[in-house]
Amino acid sequence: MSARAERTKEPPSRSPVKRAARMASLGFGVAGSYLGYLLQRSFLGEDTRKTRLAAAHTKAARRMRHEMQTLRGPAMKLGQALSVQTGVLPDEVLTELAALQREAPGMHPTLVRAQFKSSMGQLPEDIYATFDELPFAAASLGQVHRATLADGTALAVKIQYPGIGDAIAADFEWARTVSKPAQVSGHLPRVALDELERQIVAETDYVREAENLKLFHSGMASLGYVTVPEVFPKLSSSRVITMSFLEGDHLDDFLAKRPPASVRNLVGERLLELFYFQLLRMRAVHVDPHWGNYLFRDDGTIGLIDFGCVKYFDRAFVDGLEQLFLYEGSRTSIEFQRELDKRYAFTGQRITTGARKTLMRFSDQFYGRVFPPQIERENELFDFGDAAFLREYLSASRELIKTKGILTEYLFLARAEIGLYQTLHRLKARIATSRIVRKYLNRPTARRA
Amino acid sequence: MKQQAAKKARRRADLKESTRRNIVKAALSLFQSKGFDETTTKAIAKKAGIAEGTVFNYFPTKEDIALHFFNEELDHAIASVRRNPRLARAPLQEKLFALVYSQLEYLAPYERFIGAAVVHTLTPSSKLGPFSTSSQLLYLRYVEFVEQLMNESLPKDQSLARLWAPRAFWLFYLGVVLYWLHDTSEDKQDTLAMLDRSLTITVRLLFGASGSAKRARKRR
Repeated sequence: MSARAERTKEPPSRSPVKRAARMASLGFGVAGSYLGYLLQRSFLGEDTRKTRLAAAHTKAARRMRHEMQTLRGPAMKLGQALSVQTGVLPDEVLTELAALQREAPGMHPTLVRAQFKSSMGQLPEDIYATFDELPFAAASLGQVHRATLADGTALAVKIQYPGIGDAIAADFEWARTVSKPAQVSGHLPRVALDELERQIVAETDYVREAENLKLFHSGMASLGYVTVPEVFPKLSSSRVITMSFLEGDHLDDFLAKRPPASVRNLVGERLLELFYFQLLRMRAVHVDPHWGNYLFRDDGTIGLIDFGCVKYFDRAFVDGLEQLFLYEGSRTSIEFQRELDKRYAFTGQRITTGARKTLMRFSDQFYGRVFPPQIERENELFDFGDAAFLREYLSASRELIKTKGILTEYLFLARAEIGLYQTLHRLKARIATSRIVRKYLNRPTARRA
Repeated sequence: MKQQAAKKARRRADLKESTRRNIVKAALSLFQSKGFDETTTKAIAKKAGIAEGTVFNYFPTKEDIALHFFNEELDHAIASVRRNPRLARAPLQEKLFALVYSQLEYLAPYERFIGAAVVHTLTPSSKLGPFSTSSQLLYLRYVEFVEQLMNESLPKDQSLARLWAPRAFWLFYLGVVLYWLHDTSEDKQDTLAMLDRSLTITVRLLFGASGSAKRARKRR
């Protein structure tokens, strides 16, 4: 599509993006508009991309956001996921997408009531003392409304868009068709699309999400600085979740208040700790990586919301993975390679040479650098504000995700980590990374002497 | 004397109304359980606890009962759109959504009967069919209300679309009912989604949401 556009030098208004956007606005699914955009970018050479002005990015991003907002649900979600996962998008687009993540695309109040009643059998006013018919946020595949109980408890009520399952299937079918060239060229591997679809379908299951919330609510209770909403099961269903309302600012608003470096570092440190706590202690990671899922407060405490996408890891996988953290030897050695191969053994899958090479290179280039293993360096601060590092990291992650034969577990972790690092970058956080990881390792050798 | 006569008349009217309601209620329950075509007036009379002749006094045929029901359904839908003050300022697609949704809500307990009624709507010889005067009246009432809603929301220069759009909307509504009847998704989720999506697209296509408003402003 975009290749043709390039050849025939169509005027910008006829660009695939706009055409796709227009189709999307007619209800063919926003996946189109986003993928059109993504495809076009994929075909542009690195140089051409670089010469493009930031203003042009912003314009395209705004237009895309506008088109995406007119539709609801999976398409928007797909946009979010692709935006974080692929890492091919410029910051301007990410900023616009971040706004999109929070701004309500809007089921109108009549549809909200209809949807609520079809799921709960009653209207919102029959259940809550107050219910705001206008949403305050867009959530994964739904929107969130404020409400209160008779005793004054503040609530967030998440309501799913109707007919979401079919819409997802339709959007992905279309996405697969239009992204054929990108699949062939390897810019958007099919396995990544399949994985995304699985993830998004899983997110439509609000019953499971409520269970995730419960698990994280109790599992994280020991960490004093993080709050997770409490679910009200009797006021929830497969398409409605009633939970307690969390105070806090989204990343953009938090940063707009210019928090001091000490708070930004503290928050960053906690976000990093949260990641390792989830992976190594809970063996369940909130893998929806976009920063719309965090709420920040001035005192450095964090609210964690939206538990649609949680990946549960096998104990064997996590125990094995732990052996690789703060690995003290050479990450290009045969011993390290053996450790890596073991991760695959438990799945019965054989590691491919390509996957092994990519994983080892990635580990050597990044983990060794971000997390210096030597105990005497454990107080060293890593500066996530380094833009060159983030760029390199994102491009290497993209490479990793694209590599054939990478375990699904790694795909999930890579995605979660991309979101985390981008958030840390925006916080310009300087963190004693190794000290945090070491806290959660069970290996005696890695522990503090 | 006069007062007594008025009281008597009122009582008579009340009685008449309650009999009419009884007949409709009995008929609907039979239409739903036995099917529209299988239900006889005799059975309706029996269920309502009145003589068959009395049924004829109120409704010459069972199609008339059905028409009465559809008129009531429309009354209900119009009232529920008008009752909500917020809707007066809502965009056209939400008003139209509210209209169709409240109709479907009203029809929901009688799904089986509605299926049969739709077939009759397409039968020329039926009183519910497209050429009967009584069903034309119902159709006109519907179209008139949709026209009102469109007039409230649209710029004045959209006269061409306004001529045929309300009539086309009636066909759209019948299509939605058919879709709803065949919708096997959980809690008929797909109908809600289809209605929401198609209304957004239709209103945009017909009246070009932002474009038309801009043009109207330019002219002024």
